[in-house]
Amino acid sequence: MLNNKNIVIGIAGSGGDGVISAGEILVNAASSEGLYVFMLKSFGPQIRGGESSVRVRMSDLPVQTQGDKIDILVVLSWSNFLRFKSELILEEKVIIVSETDDPMADEDIPLTEEQREFWYKIPFAKLSEDLTGAKLAKNIVMLGAVSELFSLPKDALQKSIQKKFKHKEQSVIDTNIGALKAGANYVIENVKKVDPLHFEYEPKEPRLVMQGNEAVALGAMYAGLDFYAGYPITPSTEIMEWISKYLPQKGGVSMQMEDELASINAIMGASFAGKKAMTATSGPGISLMNEGLGLASMAELPLVVVNVQRGGPSTGLPTKTEQSDLMQSIWGSHGDSPRVVIAPSDVEDCFDCTVLAFYIAEKYQMPVIILSDQFIGHRKESISPESIATNKHGFRLTYNRDVPSPEELENYERYKITETGVSPMSYLGIKGGEYLGSGIEHSENGWPNSNVEMHAAMTEKRWKKFDYIKEEFRFERFYGPEDAKLGVIAWGSTKGAVKEAVKKANDMGIPVGAMIPQLIFPFLIDPFKEFIRHKSRVIIPELSYAGQFRRYLRGFLRFGQYGCKVTPFRKTGGAPFMVSEILDKIKEEWAKMETEQ
Amino acid sequence: MSELMKASDYKSGLKPIWCPGCGDYGFLNALTKTFEELQLKTEDVAVCSGIGCSSRTPGYVKAYSFNGIHGRVLPFASGVKMARPDATVIAVGGDGDGFSIGAGHIGHAARKNINITYLVLDNNIYGLTKGQASPTTPLGVKTKTTFYGNMGTTLNPVRMLIAYNASFVARTFTGNPKHTQQMIKEAIQHPGFSFVEILSPCVTFRGQDQFKLIREKVTYLDESYDCSDEVKAFEVANNNDRMALGVIFKQFRPTYDEIIMENVIKKAQALSNGTVHIDTLLEQFKP
Repeated sequence: MLNNKNIVIGIAGSGGDGVISAGEILVNAASSEGLYVFMLKSFGPQIRGGESSVRVRMSDLPVQTQGDKIDILVVLSWSNFLRFKSELILEEKVIIVSETDDPMADEDIPLTEEQREFWYKIPFAKLSEDLTGAKLAKNIVMLGAVSELFSLPKDALQKSIQKKFKHKEQSVIDTNIGALKAGANYVIENVKKVDPLHFEYEPKEPRLVMQGNEAVALGAMYAGLDFYAGYPITPSTEIMEWISKYLPQKGGVSMQMEDELASINAIMGASFAGKKAMTATSGPGISLMNEGLGLASMAELPLVVVNVQRGGPSTGLPTKTEQSDLMQSIWGSHGDSPRVVIAPSDVEDCFDCTVLAFYIAEKYQMPVIILSDQFIGHRKESISPESIATNKHGFRLTYNRDVPSPEELENYERYKITETGVSPMSYLGIKGGEYLGSGIEHSENGWPNSNVEMHAAMTEKRWKKFDYIKEEFRFERFYGPEDAKLGVIAWGSTKGAVKEAVKKANDMGIPVGAMIPQLIFPFLIDPFKEFIRHKSRVIIPELSYAGQFRRYLRGFLRFGQYGCKVTPFRKTGGAPFMVSEILDKIKEEWAKMETEQ
Repeated sequence: MSELMKASDYKSGLKPIWCPGCGDYGFLNALTKTFEELQLKTEDVAVCSGIGCSSRTPGYVKAYSFNGIHGRVLPFASGVKMARPDATVIAVGGDGDGFSIGAGHIGHAARKNINITYLVLDNNIYGLTKGQASPTTPLGVKTKTTFYGNMGTTLNPVRMLIAYNASFVARTFTGNPKHTQQMIKEAIQHPGFSFVEILSPCVTFRGQDQFKLIREKVTYLDESYDCSDEVKAFEVANNNDRMALGVIFKQFRPTYDEIIMENVIKKAQALSNGTVHIDTLLEQFKP
């Protein structure tokens, strides 16, 4: 449905067409005007070339998702667009802007009669060639044409281009600005506008543009990261790339290791030596790190481990998303090994969760897993500068681990059993604090001890910390009316679609409420109980065929006891939920409830 | 002025679990005597290990000690070293921990020239799990997992380490504690990744005559030997009949912490003037 204040533009072409670059210029231009922006990129499997597409949603009002359907489709090459057909779903009243000189015949292009109504053909390549002697600038010509057609912020686009090429010669900047103008002029002189779309917005303070993975890296720097060790794996690698550039600027060390086994052990070494340490990986890497995570639980080493989930198992879908590492992240190790699992739900939350992860890891001396996914990790969102720079949540404090006092060093016991389970931790360089840290069960002084009583007491000590972590913060988000009979419980990146769907349903008169926990493990039972107490039906949408989240919740919550029915809503395939999918499910369940009454 | 530290000051007081007659006792004494000789500060020494009989060593010394995961001592020790480049970091383990489950890490710690000392107590057997074949168990030897005799050529650790470009490769024998001490000392003093294969007999699973057999087989490199010559070092390493003891190969090249400091941190800090504030980092995200 057409909305002049909230549009979704899809651009598709071959790898050399400059699709991604055009998308980024557009996103930066919109963000500099203070618009809410959401951008997803998609590539073929080729390392270079191949096909690529980008989807940019820009809106005058806050947006939570990428938008279900494309309002404006820009096609630089139809054969390449066809590869993204299932990802770029078009509105029935879509407006199409395509390259005039495309080898594919119009009748071969799979569009409905209705979708052919607004179709502009513009010779992007020829205009670029006439102006610059090469086809290279056709993506910029395209931006000029599109901005003219739909009243996109042209001055901001020009500035965005200047910024993008600021390290190049002036002639490059001039050429690109020329290409932008050529595209716009062509439209003014040759195109008769037939569609009704004119983008409208109020300019506001510029917003920042950030990727989820960058937000994690930034959060780590904010929290005081000293040491990073990692191994490249899609879709997490941007975290390491960013950190390897910026961490040394404050004197920190970033090491590329030979594998994930080495990565987790290297950060444990650094943590043992007193440093705030982190690694990032994806599902297969977490599998390799699980033995190390068991050691970190046992030796009580503060660690932050980021898991940017992808479709699995095995190599699976490295560039697509899934929420199927939930159980692995919680229970993946051997033995009873406590670790904290927190899940960011959008880009800004990636920053928050990372700061929080370091706080918990350092304070409670245990590993913390940040369970992100490709959908958040790779997308770009515009976020308010204040949301990063201010201390709005209270927990945006850094925590420096408790070291033993001079009295405690007299007869130092590293694993002293305390009320909270946390014992002062000395590190390399502290005289008198020398101790044996180990993966073998140990006495309070760290020496090996396999007594039945000792293992029982130490296991309890390690798990007891959870009681205090649960008390420290409130981690849940709620949307919609509290007393609604119909509920949705979701986690992580599914939040966006749920939040928008709940709002739409509420606007349509369907009372539905949603709950999104940020802390996944340990399980904080009371808020869930409170939430389902009022519900007669709860939908649990998740990107897991096995329904891992529903099974996990059922381990703690007796839904039946509250007269609450559970509707599983599992999706697999690698694509995130669309708002309409959640909304349709809400409507379906609501209809059932109305018949039941 | 503080009093001089004695070898016994470097012992934790925990009683080793090793069998009577184990070669590792001689090693532990040599290690603590080396610490005495170098007058190391216990708070600035890290002794790390994986799993195995010899990997119990960290528990027996007074230092920042860590007994971690089977095969992962080198990445752990690398993390400690890069976190605290000024500390003395020692990785210790056996032939199974190092050359079987952990073999993938050796080449990387060696090529990066991480300035740690890797001491491998080679007893040609898995002792802690009570007598199974290891990568250095001789061909044909019957063990609990090789009922019909051990198959597969025996790994030659010294040759492997030279091939991996380790900057210090030595071999010694716990039957000669003085030589063991000398090799450990030179390894610790070497700036770069230093490796010592320490022949440490397992009398329980390889036989009471191991000390005697090894003593008959070893020879000492004399002063005329040039340990900077890689070709000669390979020749020495390849001689399995007469096992040469001493520093077999040594070269000097920048250590990983020096490289990181000079080529990464200094360059990075030149960009940032040494301080990184969140507001500065946010600049790059402005549209």
